[in-house]
Amino acid sequence: MTLSLNRRHFLSTAAAAAAASMVPKGAFAATPLTMQAAWINDAEFAGYFLAMDEGYYTSEGLDLTYLSGGPDVIPESTIIAGRADLALTTPDTTIKAIADQGAPFKIIGAQYQKNPIGIVSLVDSGINSPADLVRKTLAVPPVNVISVEAMLKLNGIEAGAVNIVPYAYDPTPLIKGEIDASLDFTTNVPYTISQQGAEATSFLLYDFGYTTYNDTVVVTEDVLKNKRAELVAWLRASRKGWNENFIDPAVWPPKWADTHFKGTGRTIDNEIFFNGAQQPLMETPSGIFSMSEDDIEANLSALGEVGIVGSRDMFDTTLLEEI
Amino acid sequence: MAADAAQSRNTGWRNAIILILIWEIVGRLDLIAGGALPSLSEILLRLWVDRADYPQHVIATLYASGLGFIIGNAIGILAGIIFALSPTTLRLFRGVNIAIFALPPIAIAPILVLTLSGMAPRVVLATLGVYFVTMTATVIGLSQTDKRTSDLIQAYGGTSWTTLRLVQLRGALPTILSAFRIAAPNAVLGAILAEFGGGGRWGLGTYLLGSLGRGEPDRLWGIGLTATAIAGLSYLGFALLSNRFLGATRAVTLNAATPDDATPTKSVGHNFLLTLGTIALPLTLWWAYIKLSGVPDLISKTPWGVIDYLFLGKTAAVAQAKLLQALAETLPITFVGMALGLLFAFLLAICSRLFPQAIKAFMPVALVTQTMPLVALTPLLVLMLGRGTSLTLWVTISVTFFPAFVTLAQGISLVPRGTQELPRAYGAGPWTEMRMVTIPASLPYLFAATRLTVPRALLGVMIAEWLATGKGLGNLLNQSRGYLDFGMIWSVAAVSVLVSIILYQLVVIAERRVLRRFGMQTAE
Repeated sequence: MTLSLNRRHFLSTAAAAAAASMVPKGAFAATPLTMQAAWINDAEFAGYFLAMDEGYYTSEGLDLTYLSGGPDVIPESTIIAGRADLALTTPDTTIKAIADQGAPFKIIGAQYQKNPIGIVSLVDSGINSPADLVRKTLAVPPVNVISVEAMLKLNGIEAGAVNIVPYAYDPTPLIKGEIDASLDFTTNVPYTISQQGAEATSFLLYDFGYTTYNDTVVVTEDVLKNKRAELVAWLRASRKGWNENFIDPAVWPPKWADTHFKGTGRTIDNEIFFNGAQQPLMETPSGIFSMSEDDIEANLSALGEVGIVGSRDMFDTTLLEEI
Repeated sequence: MAADAAQSRNTGWRNAIILILIWEIVGRLDLIAGGALPSLSEILLRLWVDRADYPQHVIATLYASGLGFIIGNAIGILAGIIFALSPTTLRLFRGVNIAIFALPPIAIAPILVLTLSGMAPRVVLATLGVYFVTMTATVIGLSQTDKRTSDLIQAYGGTSWTTLRLVQLRGALPTILSAFRIAAPNAVLGAILAEFGGGGRWGLGTYLLGSLGRGEPDRLWGIGLTATAIAGLSYLGFALLSNRFLGATRAVTLNAATPDDATPTKSVGHNFLLTLGTIALPLTLWWAYIKLSGVPDLISKTPWGVIDYLFLGKTAAVAQAKLLQALAETLPITFVGMALGLLFAFLLAICSRLFPQAIKAFMPVALVTQTMPLVALTPLLVLMLGRGTSLTLWVTISVTFFPAFVTLAQGISLVPRGTQELPRAYGAGPWTEMRMVTIPASLPYLFAATRLTVPRALLGVMIAEWLATGKGLGNLLNQSRGYLDFGMIWSVAAVSVLVSIILYQLVVIAERRVLRRFGMQTAE
C-alpha cells in the first residue's frame, strides 16, 4: 500500500479508483471505511492484507483504506480526530482513556485473545517466570511499562526489584548480554534472535496473570451509531481473511513480498514465523475477534490490579453476534 | 603555493585512508562492542544486497524533505525581508522565532503526528528545521549590505524598494545561499525523524524502524550512511552553487561603515507593549493552530489546556509531581552536557587552527555523527557506555558540538592577521598567541556558539533518556503515550520548549553584558 503515504484526500481518490477497477460494472457504490493499524506492515495484520487482496471487503460493499501505524501514532487519537473509523489498540490504553478522560470509545472485537507481549530472554539466562526477573535488567518500551508493572504486581514482585530500562526496538543488547530480558511480541523476536545464532525463550504476560487482549478493535460511539452495518461487514470480511490465512500460515506472507511486505526492512521468513506463532493466540472456537464474558471479566480484573478501572459496558459484543 | 596545496590535499587523503583502514580492521575483527560496529566494507556489501529496498524509501524522504525545504525557505526569506524592513515586527516575532529555533524535534514529532495526517508531519518538521536558518541569514544579509552602494542608489533618487531590489537582496544572496547549505541537511533529518514515528509506508525513517528489530548493525549503518549521503550531497550541492554564483560578486574593499544602532529609544509604554506582544504571539499561534487543525480538545491542548492540566485539573498535583521530578533529572545533566559540548567544540576549533590536517580527517566522522540517526546507534552506545551518565553526556556532546564548532572555527579564522602577528613578532609561540589574541578576540563567536548549543543540549539529553536511560523528560514523554495522557504529552513539549527559551535568553543577557564591557559586537 504505497497509498498510506499520501494525504488522505489523494488516498481516498486513489483507493476509490483502485476499487472501481475491481468492482464489476453495475455494482452499487462501496462505502468508504478507514482503519488505523497499530504498527508498520508485518504479519500482525496478515488477515487484513489477505481480505483486501482477495476482495473480501469489496464484496461486503466496503471501500477500505488501511493506515499503518508507528511509534508516535496513537491509534485512539486517530479515531478521535476522525481520520479513521476504527483502530486496533491495546486494551489498557483504551480503557484508561474511557475511564479517566471520558473518551467516547467502544471495544467491538479483539484480534488477539491472548496478548502476545511477553518476556523474551536467552535460554542460558534461565528466566522462565516473573520471579526470575528479580535483580535482573529488563528492557521495556516506555509505552508498555504499565503492562509490566501490572504483571510484576500480580506476581507479588515489587516494581523496584527489577531494573527496567527503555527498549529501543533492537535486540542486539539482549543478544550481547547487556540486558537480561526484554519485553516484546513473543511472536516476533525469538525468530530474530535465532537468526543471530542464539536461542531464545519467552513467556507471555498473559500466562502470569496479565490476562488481557491485544489489538482490540475500537470505534467511537458516533461511528458505532452511524456505521454499524459497515463495522459488522468489516468484522465479517476480516474474520474471513484471518480464517483463510490460518489454513496454512506459511502460504500468504511470500505472496506479499512485492506488495504489503516490500521494503519493510523485515524478512518473509520472519513473517512466516510470526504468522504461525500468532495463530494459537488468535484462534478461538467462537471465531476470530470473539469476546467471551469470561475473557472480558479477566481483562477487567487484570487491569483493575493497576488501577485501570473499566466496566463491562466499555465492550460491545452485539456486532460480533451479527457476523 | 600550488605544491603546498597539493601536499596538504595528499595528507588529507592519507589521513582519511588511515581512518577507514582502522575502521575496517576494528569492524572485521568485531573488536568494538562484540561486533556492534560493522566495518565499512560490510556496510557497503549490505547496501548492495539491500539495493532493491532503497529507491522508494529514498524518494519518499527526498519528497518530504524537498517540500519542507522549499516551503521553509520561502517563508524564511519572506519573513526575513519583512523583519529587515520593520524592526518592530522583528521584535514582535522574536518569541516565535526563538521558540521555533528551540523546539526539540523529538518532543514536537508526536504532537505533529497527533494533529496532522499523511505526509504533513514530515513536511512540517522539515520546514521547521529550515525556516530559522534561512530567516536569520536573510535578516543578517539584508542588514549588512554595503552602505556605500545603497547611498549611491539613493543619490540617484531610488526609493527604499529599489534599494532592496538592486542592492540589499543581491548583497544578501551569499548569506542566504550559505544558509541553504545548513538548511538542506536539517530538512532531511526532520523528515526522517517524522517518518520514524509517523507510521507511513515509505521513507528512510520507516525503513530504519522496520530494520531495527533484526539486530543487524550493517543494515542500520547502511540506512544511516544513506541519510548522511543525502544530507552531505545537498550540503555540497548548495556549497558549489554558491561558489559558482558568487565568485565574482564579493566586495573587493572593506565596508568601513558601522551598522546603525538597531535599538532606537522608544517610550517605556511602547517597549512594554512590544514585550507583551512578543510573549503573547507564540501562544496565540499555538492556540490558532489547534483551532484551525480542528482536532478535538481531548487530544490537542491549547496553552490554556496545558495550564488547566498542570494547575487546575483533578490530576494536577500528580502531573506536577511527575513533571518536576523529570525536570530535576533532566536539567542538571543538560548543563553539564552543554558545557562539555562547548568545551569539545572549543578544543576542536583551536586544534583546527593548530593541526588543520588532523581536523580535516576528523570532519567526515563529525559529519556522520550529525546525520546518523541515533536510534540506529543505541545498541553500540549502550554496549560501550552502559546506560548511565556517561552515555547521556556522550550523546549530548555528539548532538551539540558540531554547530558550535563551526561557529567557533569561523570566529577564530576571522581574527585579523595583524593582531595575530603582533605577539609572534615578540617571539610568542602559537599557544601564547592563542591565549592572548585569538581566544579573547573570538569571544562574540563563543557566545553565538553557546546560543546554538543550549536547545541542542536539551535535545541530546532527551534522546539519551528516551533510548537508553529511561529517566527524565525524554522518558516521561514516551510513557505518557502509553498512558494515553495527552495533557502530559503537550505539557512535556511545552515545558521543554520553555526551558530552551529561558536558557537561550539567559545566554543572550550574559552575552550583551559581557560584549558591551569588551566593546564588541554580537556575532551571528
